[in-house]
Amino acid sequence: MKKILVWDLPVRLGHWLMAGGFAFAWATGDSEVWRLAHVFAGGAVTAIALFRLLWGIIGSRHARFASFVRGPRQALGYLKDLLRRAPRHYAGHNPAGGWAIVLLLSLALLTGASGWLAYQEMGGEWLAEAHEWCVHLMLAVIGAHVLGVLVGSLAHRESLIGAMFTGRKLGRPEEAISGQHLLGAACLLGWAAAGAWWLAQ
Amino acid sequence: MLKTVLRAALSTTFVTLAAAITLAAPAASAATPAQLLNTYAAEAARQTPGFQPSAQRGAELYARRFTASEKMPACATCHTDSPLQAGRHAVTGKAIKPLAPRAEPARFTDPAKVEKWFRRNCSEVTGRECSAAEKADFIRFMTEGS
Repeated sequence: MKKILVWDLPVRLGHWLMAGGFAFAWATGDSEVWRLAHVFAGGAVTAIALFRLLWGIIGSRHARFASFVRGPRQALGYLKDLLRRAPRHYAGHNPAGGWAIVLLLSLALLTGASGWLAYQEMGGEWLAEAHEWCVHLMLAVIGAHVLGVLVGSLAHRESLIGAMFTGRKLGRPEEAISGQHLLGAACLLGWAAAGAWWLAQ
Repeated sequence: MLKTVLRAALSTTFVTLAAAITLAAPAASAATPAQLLNTYAAEAARQTPGFQPSAQRGAELYARRFTASEKMPACATCHTDSPLQAGRHAVTGKAIKPLAPRAEPARFTDPAKVEKWFRRNCSEVTGRECSAAEKADFIRFMTEGS
């Protein structure tokens, strides 16, 4: 195995913009002075999550849901092997990581939807509460995701965090993707900006 | 394969929604502004024996300009000079219903909501938490003095 390109640019850019946008929105959530910035960041995160759904169908090989979404048995099996320190190596996402992605995307969309409805004052105080609970659940999954990344990095002796920056992971040459998908990345940026702007209206 | 993905996403969505609604729903417990006032006044009296809530002090707190926030120096910045009037968010420009229960009967009837907004707005406008005495004064001003 050698280092091959696995994550295209829309995957990496989307990941870090989502992480940064979520962190910013979380930090400003209780502030009225930062309310508009909070809504803007939330809009961007929601738009990125929506883009990721589409990219999960039309994106490059390892970005596709079909390539990494597996049943709970396989995810548990992977975690068990991880505890036994003999996990199977995947060039793309492992089955447990796939669950983190599905959960985080679902929660991001729910958080965005409840936040938008609350901002439009379409529900009572309970909507703001539901928005906060979505965030609590999301923080819990983020915690599990980060822990999984750290343990996985140690177990496979490769930096999964670094891979999300460079796009390169260990794998067989035939598993590599052919390009960075710059056009997809440009679409993602435009779409995220449009989503942020629209939600903040 | 797409079916598995959709099933996973749908069940996640359902469970999360159910959890969020169950956890959020029982939050609203009804009270009257007078009951809320009494609770804060009793707490203040434990700290300062003989404490009596004052609409006058509440009005001063409402109008006072603090230095913690440039954009939101006072309660009155968003809620206008009179809590009987509809306000306007200083940053988003969104309309805010009047704060006084006489103009907006739902105000100061949900203890958890009242605590949440005292906590948020006091720390942002005054730069600190409000004391039980200040909250009692504030609600007296909202119910009587405005």
